[in-house]
Amino acid sequence: MGWETWIVTTLSRSLAYGTPLLLGTLGEIYAERSGVLNLGVEGMMIMGAYSGFTTAYITGNPWLGILVAAVVGGAFSLIHAFTSVTLKANQVVSGLSLTMLGLGLSGMFGRGWEGKPLPATIPKITVPGLSKIPFLGPIFFEGQNLIVYMAILLVPLLWYILYRTRIGITIRSVGENPATADSLGINVDRVRYMCVLIGGVLAGMAGGYLSVAYRPAWTEGMTAGMGWIVIALTIFAFWNPAYGMLGAYLFAALYHLSFRLQPWVSPELLKAMPYAFAILVLIFVSRGTLKKRIGAPAALSLPYTRGEE
Amino acid sequence: MFTQRNKVLLVTVLVVAVIFSFASVMMAKEYVPGTPLKVGFIYVGPIGDLGWSYAHDEARRICEDTFPWLETVYVESVAEGSEGLYIDKLIMEEGCDVVLTTSFGFMDGTLISAQKYPDKIFAHCSGFKRNPNMMTYMADFYQIYYLNGLIAGALTKTNKTAYIGAFPIPEVKRHMGAFAVGVRETTPKAEVLVRWIYEWFSPTAAKEAAEALIADGCDVFAFTEDSPTIVQVAGEKGLPSFGHYSPMYDFSPEYVVSGQIAHWEAVYLDFLAKVYAGAYTAHNLADVDYWWLLKEKAVEMGAKPGMLMNPAYEDELKEKKVNDPVLGMISVYDLVMKRLEQMSDPSMVFDPFNGPIFDRDGNLKVPEGLRMSVFELTTIDWAVDGIVGPWE
Repeated sequence: MGWETWIVTTLSRSLAYGTPLLLGTLGEIYAERSGVLNLGVEGMMIMGAYSGFTTAYITGNPWLGILVAAVVGGAFSLIHAFTSVTLKANQVVSGLSLTMLGLGLSGMFGRGWEGKPLPATIPKITVPGLSKIPFLGPIFFEGQNLIVYMAILLVPLLWYILYRTRIGITIRSVGENPATADSLGINVDRVRYMCVLIGGVLAGMAGGYLSVAYRPAWTEGMTAGMGWIVIALTIFAFWNPAYGMLGAYLFAALYHLSFRLQPWVSPELLKAMPYAFAILVLIFVSRGTLKKRIGAPAALSLPYTRGEE
Repeated sequence: MFTQRNKVLLVTVLVVAVIFSFASVMMAKEYVPGTPLKVGFIYVGPIGDLGWSYAHDEARRICEDTFPWLETVYVESVAEGSEGLYIDKLIMEEGCDVVLTTSFGFMDGTLISAQKYPDKIFAHCSGFKRNPNMMTYMADFYQIYYLNGLIAGALTKTNKTAYIGAFPIPEVKRHMGAFAVGVRETTPKAEVLVRWIYEWFSPTAAKEAAEALIADGCDVFAFTEDSPTIVQVAGEKGLPSFGHYSPMYDFSPEYVVSGQIAHWEAVYLDFLAKVYAGAYTAHNLADVDYWWLLKEKAVEMGAKPGMLMNPAYEDELKEKKVNDPVLGMISVYDLVMKRLEQMSDPSMVFDPFNGPIFDRDGNLKVPEGLRMSVFELTTIDWAVDGIVGPWE
C-alpha cells in the first residue's frame, strides 16, 4: 500500500475524530479567554451526547439532536457560570462538580437508552467534483459529514471575532484585567456568562456529534475522557482558535496512527503517544519566557468582585 | 491525656465496635438448603454495555424469574481490585449467601474474601483459583469463533480478515486462534490482522482500530470489545461482521453475518439449583469448574438468538465450496452446520484445536491426533498460524 493512502486515510480519520475535540477546544478557549476556567467540559459533552441521542431517537431527526445537544450543553454550562461568576466560588471545584454531575445524570437517565440503534444519523456526504481532486478530495470531500465542515468554518470565524473585533477585545480584556475592563464600563459578569455559554454550547455539540454522527449509539461514559483532552488542547493552543485546530487534528491523527502503526511499534508506546504529546506541550508552554509572551489570560480562574484587587 | 468525658466516649465507641463485629460474625451463618437463597453479583462494567456485563445481568434476571426461592442483588462498574469492599457489603449488609464475581481481575480479591467468609459460597468467572467454598466457571466462545472464522474465510475478498482484541490475554488469544483456524480452513491463504485496544470497553478506540484495519484492506470483522461499535463501523462501509457477546444484529441488520451469544443462565441455573438442593455447599467446591461450551448450551452462535446466520449471506456461503479431507467437497454453509452439530454433540467429536496446529513461526504446537486440554486452552499464549500483527 502506497504512502498516498496512508496520508489520505490518516488525515481523513483525523478530521472525523478531531471534530469533537476541536469544537470543545474552541468553546473552552472562549471561556478561558474571559477568565473562567471550566473543567466541566467532560460533563457538558456527555450531557450533549445523551440529550442529542435521545432527541434524535425520538424525533428521527439527527439535526434536531445536534441542536438540542448544543442547547443542553449551553444550559448545563450556566450552572458553572452561576457558581463561578455570580457566586464567585472556586472555579476548579465548580468545574469538577459539573463533570461529575454530567456523568452521573446522563448515566442515570441514559439507562433505558443503551443498546438502541439510531434510525437516522447525520449523513456522510461526498461532494461531487471536489472529491476527485487528488489528495484533498478523498481527505476533505469524501465521507465526511457537515458538522466536520461546520467546525472548520468556526475556526476562522471565532479567530476573527477574538482578534479583530471589538467583542474580541472586550473578551480578552475581561480575561486579562477585569478591574480595568470594569472601569471602562464593560459588564464583566455578562461577558463571562456569554463566554461560558459559548463553551457549553460547543461542548454540547461535540457530545451530540459523538452520539449522533461519529458512533450513533448511547452508552454511559461514552465521551471517555475527551473533555480532559480538550482542557489540555486549550493550553496547547495558547488560547488561540487557529492553534486549537492544529492541536485537535494533530492529536486525532496520533490517535488514529496509534492503531495503524501497531504491527511495527509497541502498542503500549503508541497508546501513550497522544498523551505524552499533550504533556510535552504543557511543559513547553510553561517555560518562563514563553509563558510571559503567550501565557494564560492573567485573570484566568480568578473570580472578579468590583472594588477588590 | 484524655479528659474523663473523652475516655467515656472512647470506651463507648470501642464497646459498640466490638459488639458490632461479633454481631456480624454471628450473622454470617451458613446457608441451609431449601430455604430462600440470596445471591449477589459483582460486574466489572455497566450493565448497559451490551457486552459482557449485560449478558451476565440478563442471566441474573432469568434466574430470578425461574426460581421463586431466589433473590438477587448486583453491583455494577466495580473496578478490579476493589471487589473485596463490595463483597463485604453484599455479605454484611445485604446478607447474601452466594457471591458471584464476573471478571478475571476479581480473582485474587474473591479468593481472599472466600477465605475470610468460609461459610459463604463464592463463584468466580474466567479464573483458575478455587477454594472449598469457591468454584470457577466460564461459558467459552472459542468454538463459535472458529465457526465464525469458517464464514469469514469464505466471505473475504481481500484475504484479510480483521480481529480487534481488548487485551492480549489467553482468553482473547484463544478466541483469535480459533477464529484463525476457521478462516484458514475455508481460505488457506487468508490472514487475520490483529489490533489491540487495551480496554474492555471503549467505543472510540474500537472505532479507530476498525477504521485502521479497513484502511489496511480488511473486509470481514470479528472482535472482543463490549460495545456494538465495530459492527456499526463495518456496516457503514458495507462490510460483514460478527456480533460479540450479545445480539448485535439490530445495529447493522444487513451486515451482521453471525456472532457469539452467551447464555450465562445455563451455568447459573445449574449451579444455583445445586446450591439450593444442598449438592454444592461451602465445603465441596474446590474441584468444581464449569467450563461450558456449545454442548452445554452455555453459548450460542448467531446474529441474534435463533438466527444462526443472516439469511442475506446464505447463498454466498452455499456456493463457496471447500475440500475437506474427511467430508469431501462441501459448501461452507454445510461445513458450518456439520461442525456445529459435531461440537454440540455430547461426545464432542470435533474441536477447532484438534491437531495438527502450527503457530505462526511454523512450530508444531498440537500434533496430529491430539487435542488441546482445557488447561492448555486457558493458558494459550502463542499465535496460531495466519495471525498477523502485534501479540503482546
